[in-house]
Formats: sequence, structure tokens, C-alpha cells
Amino acid sequence: MDTKDILRKAFDGERINEQECLQLLSYNDLLELGEVANEVRFRHNPYEVVTFVVDSNPNYTNVCNVDCTFCAFYRKKDDPDAYTYSIDELIKKFKESANRGITTILLQGGVNPDLPFEYYLELVEKTRKEVPEIHPHFFTTSEIIGMSEVSGLSIREVLIKLKEVGLNTIPGGGAEILSDRVRKKISKKKGPSSSWLDVMREAHLLGYKTTATMMFGHIETNEDIIIHLSSIRKLQDETKGFTAFIPWSFKPENTPLEKHIKTYSSPYRYLQIIAVSRIFLDNFPHIQASWFSEGKKIGQVALHFGADDFGGTLEEENVHAAANFINRSTKDEVIELIHGAGFDAAQRDTLYNILKVYHKKPVAQST
Amino acid sequence: MIHFRDKNLIPIWEKLQSGIELTFEDGITLYGSNDILSIGKMAHWLQREKVGDAVFFVVNQKIEPTNICVLSCKFCDFAVKKTSPEAYEMTIEEILSKLNDELMEVHITGGLHPDWEWDYYVGMVKEIKKHFPKIDVKAFTAVEIDFFSKKFKKSIEDILLELKEAGLRTLPGGGAEIFSERVRRSLFNQKIGAKRWLEIHKIAHSLGIKSNATMLYGHVETFEERVNHLLKLRDLQKETNGFLSFIPLAFQPGDTGIKMRNQFTSAIDDLRTIAISRLILNNFDHIKAYWIMLTEELAAVALNFGANDLDGTVGGERIAHDAGAITPMQLAKNKLINIINDANKIPVERDIYYRPLKLYSEKIVGKVSYINTLPFFQNLNFNNYKIFTAPPRQLGFLFKEGFIDAGIISLVDYLEKESDYRLLKYGIVGNKNVKSVILYSKVPLEQLNKKCIAVSDETSTSFRLMQAILELKQGFDLNYIREKISYRKTNLSHFDAFLTIGDDALKFMNNKPEQFKYHYDLAQLWYEWKSLPFVFAVWTVKNTLSESQCEEINQLLENSLKKFFDGKIEIEKFHLSNLKLSSGEIADYLNNLTYRIGVDEIKSINIFREIYDQLKMSNKNIMNLIERF
Ligand code: SF4
Ligand code: SF4
Repeated sequence: MDTKDILRKAFDGERINEQECLQLLSYNDLLELGEVANEVRFRHNPYEVVTFVVDSNPNYTNVCNVDCTFCAFYRKKDDPDAYTYSIDELIKKFKESANRGITTILLQGGVNPDLPFEYYLELVEKTRKEVPEIHPHFFTTSEIIGMSEVSGLSIREVLIKLKEVGLNTIPGGGAEILSDRVRKKISKKKGPSSSWLDVMREAHLLGYKTTATMMFGHIETNEDIIIHLSSIRKLQDETKGFTAFIPWSFKPENTPLEKHIKTYSSPYRYLQIIAVSRIFLDNFPHIQASWFSEGKKIGQVALHFGADDFGGTLEEENVHAAANFINRSTKDEVIELIHGAGFDAAQRDTLYNILKVYHKKPVAQST
Repeated sequence: MIHFRDKNLIPIWEKLQSGIELTFEDGITLYGSNDILSIGKMAHWLQREKVGDAVFFVVNQKIEPTNICVLSCKFCDFAVKKTSPEAYEMTIEEILSKLNDELMEVHITGGLHPDWEWDYYVGMVKEIKKHFPKIDVKAFTAVEIDFFSKKFKKSIEDILLELKEAGLRTLPGGGAEIFSERVRRSLFNQKIGAKRWLEIHKIAHSLGIKSNATMLYGHVETFEERVNHLLKLRDLQKETNGFLSFIPLAFQPGDTGIKMRNQFTSAIDDLRTIAISRLILNNFDHIKAYWIMLTEELAAVALNFGANDLDGTVGGERIAHDAGAITPMQLAKNKLINIINDANKIPVERDIYYRPLKLYSEKIVGKVSYINTLPFFQNLNFNNYKIFTAPPRQLGFLFKEGFIDAGIISLVDYLEKESDYRLLKYGIVGNKNVKSVILYSKVPLEQLNKKCIAVSDETSTSFRLMQAILELKQGFDLNYIREKISYRKTNLSHFDAFLTIGDDALKFMNNKPEQFKYHYDLAQLWYEWKSLPFVFAVWTVKNTLSESQCEEINQLLENSLKKFFDGKIEIEKFHLSNLKLSSGEIADYLNNLTYRIGVDEIKSINIFREIYDQLKMSNKNIMNLIERF
């Protein structure tokens, strides 16, 4: 089919298939893609509103035995700068965060085999009890698989126990590219893509809400990206458990993958991925712009290419900071960025309930 | 086609497609709209109409000879006073030491120094030209020119002429800030205002010095003031046609105290300002995305929002850097090339006048920028190829260097590369006449011997055809001078005749030059001579393409021709207003040409090949052709 016809089909609200999506990924008229993605965006979210969450993203440990080649963050147990926080230390941090108005903690870490399952359970339980203002958005699928390994429990049992102590959302990290060809090369020990999808499926069936991420711009091909998008769309058809899709581009500095990847993925590519995923993932309520990895300006532009969520304010961001890419922001700045992009800003919680709307200044006036 | 989210933009789109210039109100409507994608699509459309997929850059170096300035503009955190420990002054030797042979352009601006002599400035330009004759000098903003004129008690004309004499080529566009008295009084009340800035550029243009224009936005100005600024530039451009490019400059707050340090303009404001400039400044060829201030990432996106120039490698960018620009000081040429390729455009290395020197991209289709290629291109979908548009001679130059993979190429340029390229079945052919290759003369053709003829700087083949007719057939001895020829230009009167081609020739159709009573259609003269059609341009592809790829392209071309000539010829109004012709006149013109290469055409090419070889052998002709720009 002619690419123009595919775009028209998507514009009219019809679902496009994998082959058609592949064609869009190699289509070079960025603004045409953006126009259709924007149409789809307003179908899902008819208001000129962009949501964000006031969150922080600490890490409880950087010890990890998974050795992903793209990861600049992890350390071995005996490395001088290896760390693991105690539960009390973390709770103290969370309390500080709560005092600063933070509503969500996105907590991720390495997969540290020395931590017992009880550590995770206690952490969730204490967070709920002692810092009720905070919504725990804890643990990627890799860590959940790690918990299953240390405890000898099944994934489902791990998830049930976590749920009992108060966890009900999981971040979508660790998906990287859900194509086994790529995973074998960049994150071999994370297992095949089915392991990520299986954990998510179990979680959704137990009532968890989760996000889905995609890290592109390394060794993947367009076909790999299609496999990724298609897998999560299928799962979403089944479970409706995903709240948002968050693509971000790989930053090669300080990582073992660096020697294989010479250039940064271009902003043009990022916007193309945002637009194409908005078009293809017709069952995802939200697409999130990843301003912390793409830069604030490109983050703003992404809001006109299909994204309707600006992610978190990210008070602490160790993973990216380690790759020489420090990009912090505060709530005020995030609101200003959203306003600057031409939208009202709405603070949300982890489940995308709107907490407060910050209206932009009327237009027709200089900024 | 555009799906407008903001329906208020539809009348603007209709105007643009009809080639009608936008009004102040349109500008305000555009700025008031949040439909940034539709604005971008309109701007991208106009950008591609103007320059195809080309994005220009120049290998250049910025020099700021001093940061000592007698003024203290509020937004400037570059300038200091003489007594400041940060003050510096460069000698001419120091300036020369910053230059090298790879550079094509040097950009010189700096503070208004209280003590420097006039000789120093003139000497600076002279010495640069002496040591680096290849480097073009772009120097001194209108603010500096005004300062020189007052300080050294010379008229603006004299200042500019002396600098031109020394080797200055163009003026940079700085110092325009925002054309608003209100803003001037509050931010830079000692600096020249709009009137003086425009006046200086107008004088420069009249002296043959081209220039750029800028607008500083994102401080305290209103949208109304921005739109007014653009309109004033458009008006002057109408008068002089002397601006090469327009550069919107995002205000960098830094420590200027006007805004908070990290309050950069929003990406959306940057993109729409570029797009709106593209749309309002319909008489500017080039809109620049100044990556140093925009960030590389956003500059890349801007190449789809109306910008077709990335400035250059730049070198030491003090003014923007000191005020907190977050991009690294020097981006290698390769980086610019990558940015442009990533945005699916063709990186074009240029000189100071935007003449293309090199292209850095794969899969380029060359397109002659004349209406007569429309039958091929209007319905052509060349999937993964990028289109490079230029007049025949420029295109031929790049073609001969091997940068063009396929395209419609002037015949003589193709003949130069026959061994590397394959002929397709299509071309631009004048049967018994062509209507767009015309020799205008004050005297009858028979009396042209020993005369001086102005030759359009766009032609490759037509010039050779004229030579063949006048020199070989008539046996004349002539002098030629390359000129930019435009129907609006009056300075052709000192020539005895002039040769105009392509769209320019069409514009003369209803605006016949009075003094030049005699006109000759070169295809007609050829026909009278050889009884054959004349092939002006041919479709050709690199030998490296396979037989089946050629066949595929032949098929594409056949289909687009069929589609174009099937039924009534539809020509976008946009082209009509450009050419000052009615749609019927253009249809007649296009119908009169033929587009297929058959037996007679091949015969004609073979005859012309011999003539061309003969012409090339006589050195005299080349000596007699004076290149002037
Ligand atoms: S990405 Fe996560 S799982 Fe992989 S090495 Fe880094 S911390 Fe470990
Ligand atoms: S902007 Fe120019 S004129 Fe004004 S203070 Fe700075 S250097 Fe001097």
C-alpha cells in the first residue's frame, strides 16, 4: 500500500498492521507522520492538556549481576562505589521527598542477589505505612525475576505478595527492545523478550497497572522495533494493563556498547518513533515524552508529534547522570516547559488521575 | 494536503498556494495558533518549492576583534569597558592566525572600540584578502558601519565603498534586534534603530554589497513587533533584492538580567518563528537555523519547519557562548553534515553567495529549477531520493563533479560526462521553437558582429547553442559577459544584446524590454539551420544503476508525463504568480515543448556534440567570456 494511504487509514481511525507500520518507520516526511500522530493523540486525549507527575527516581542499589552492555549504572558487589541502601535510609529519603511535594517514587535498582525477598516486601509495606503521601512505583521486571530467583517463588507468587503489601503499579523499564535477536546481544542475562512480557502479563492479570518502555538507537533495526511494538500492542489487547508507552534513545557514553555505536540517535528519529508509536499503539491511553533523555526542547516538540504526557519531574536521576547526561528539572520548570509548548499542564498521579491543572497564559502575547 | 487542526489557518494556506503575500493580520493569526504542525507543513512546503531538499552550510570562522565597546546594551553580556580585566584587542596578525586555507568565509563583528583608527578596519579586510584570497569577508554590522561613519566623519557610502574596495563581500545581519522603538528605548537606547539599520542595508545593496538580516526574539517584544519586523524586511527586499538570508536569533538570557538565566525560548516558539519567517518573507531565498543558539537537536528539526541553512562551522562564537548557549563552541563540518542528513535533507557546502560547492548525500536527483521540468516532477514520487534543485549551469557544475545520481541535466554538461552516465528516454526538447531561450538584441542579428552580449549566468547549453549559431554559422567575433538577468533589472542597457533562459525568459514574455527590439528564439534558429529539434536537457542516470533500475525510472517518468498531460493541464497558482503568466499561457508553453528523446533528437544531439567539440577547441571563446558576480 502507498504510504499516503496508510497514513490516511490511520487518520481515519483504522488500525494499521505490522507491515504498514514498518513502512511508516522508513517514511521520511516527518511532519506528515506528526500530523497523523497528533490526530490520534487528540482522539485519545481531546484536551490541549499535557500531564506530568511530581516524582523522584532514586536507586536503592547499583549492584547488579545482569551485565547489560548498554548500562553505565551498575557495579559489581566489590567495586568501591557499589552501594545498597537500607530500608530505613530509603524511608528517610522518601519522607524528605514527600515533604517536597513528591507524590510518586519510581524506584529501580540493579539485580542484587544478596538482597532477600523480605527486603522488597518490607520496603513496600513501610513505604505505604510510613509515607502514605507517596505512591510506590517500584521494581522493573528484571528485579521481579530476581526476587523470584532468590525466594524460589513463582513470578505470580512474588507479584501477589508484593500486591498484598501495597504495590499496584510497576515501571516499564527493562523492556529495551523486545526482540530476541537484539536482547541476546545487549542484555543476554535478562532473558528473552517473553520474560519481560510474561511478568507484565501476570502483573496486569493481578490488577497492576504498568508502563512500557523502549530503548532504541543502538543495534536494532526497524524490524526489531516493529516486533517490540507489536508484542506490547498484543498484550495490551489482552490485558488493558498498560497506562503509557515511553520510548527513549540510547545514550552510548560510558557504556560497553559505546564502541559499537558511534552516533547518537537523531532527534528526527526520536520524533519519528514517538509519532509512529502513537499511530500504531492505538490501544495505549498515553505516550510519554522523555525530556530527560532527549533534552527539554525536543521533549517540547514531541508534544506536537503524538506525546501527551511529559513524564516526571525526576528529582534524582542516577541512571542517566552516570552517562554524563545530567538533566534535572523541577516542577515549576516542567510546568513552564509544557506551557511553552502551548498546552495546559496537569499534575497527575501514577494512575493518571488528574490532581491539579495549571493553565497556560492566554496566547497572542509574547513569552 | 494539510489537515488543519486550527481552521483559522486555512485562508492563509490558500493565499500561500496562490503566491499571495501574507499580511500583518496573517502574521498575528499564525503566532496566535497552537497548530504548530500545520504551520510547519506550510513552511516546509514553501521551503521545498524554493530550494528542494537542499540545506546549506559554509565552512566559516567567526572573528570578534575586540570586546571593548562604547555602548552597553542591556541584553549584551559580551561587551566590556577598556579597563575591565576581561577586555581584549586583537592585532591583524592575531586575526590572521585564526584563519586557514580550508575556510570559505570569515564573519567579523565586534565591539565599538573607542580608539581604533579607520585604517585598522580597512587594513584588516585587505590583509585577510591578501593572505587568504579564497576567503570571502563578511564583516561589520550596520551598528558598526554607523559608528564608523560618525567616528571617522565619512558618509555611509564612502565607508562601504572603501571596505568593498578592500575586499569586503557582504554585511552580516546583526544589530537589527527588533524593529520597535519601544523595545529599543528599554533595552538598547544608544543603539541605532530600525530606520538607520534599514537605510544602511539599502545603501549597501545599492553598492552591490549583499547582506543578511536578523531578528532577536524571546525577550520583551510582542508578537506584533515581530511581525512588523518581518514586514519591514520584506519591504526592503522588494526594493533591493539584496538580502541573502534571514536569521531569527533566540535571545540567550545568560547574566543579562532581562530574564532568568535558564529561561530559554520554548522550542515551539523557536520553530514557529522560523516557520512564520519563512512564510512572511516570501522574497527571501534562505532562512537560517542558527544551531549555536537553538541547540543542534532543535536546529535539525527546524530543517523541516522552513529553515534551509545551518550557518556554518563558525569557530569562536563569543557573544552567544558567554551568554550561556549550551552547544559546544565548534561543531565539525561532519557534524553539520550528519544533522542535515538525519533530517532527510541534502547537505550543501556553499560559498558566501549560496553557490553550491559540494553535496554530501547519497541518492540525489537533480532538477532544473524551471517550470518546464514540472511535467516530470509534479506527479513524480521518487521514494528514497532527495531532490536538488538549481538552475542548469549550477546543476551541471555539481553533476560534472559526480554529486548527482540521476536527473534532468543540461545537454552540454551531460556530454562532458557521457562515459559515466546513461541516457534515459526523456528530456526537454524545443521543436521548431522553445519560447524560453531568447536572444534579445538592439540590432538585427546580422549586425551583431563585434558586439558585446550579456549571457544569463544560469545557462550551460543555451550559451553554447548561441555561440554555434553566431560564431560558426554567422562567423561573428563576439564578447560575452555573464550577468544575472532579470526582467526587473534595468542595467542591461549598456549591452548590445542579452541571452535569457528558463523562467526569466518567460517573465520577459509579457514585459518585453523596450530597447531590445529584436528577439530570436534559439531553437527556431537551430531548426532553420539543421531542420531538427533541439535538445536542451536530458534525463540521465549514473552508470552504476542497473538496467532494471533505469527501466523503473523511465516508467516513473512516463507515468508522470501521462498524468500531467492527461486532460486539462493543472498548474498550481503559486507558479502563475511567480511567472506573471496566465495558466493558459503556461499550458501553451509546456504543450509546445516535447519531453521524449526519439530518433530525431538523437540525431540532433550527435550533430551538436561535434559542434560543441569544435567550440571547445577554440580558446578564444573562453577568453571572451568574462565571469562577473
Ligand atoms: S540495566 Fe538494569 S539489569 Fe541491566 S545491568 Fe543495568 S542495572 Fe542491571
Ligand atoms: S550589543 Fe554590540 S553595540 Fe551593544 S554593547 Fe554589545 S557589542 Fe556593544
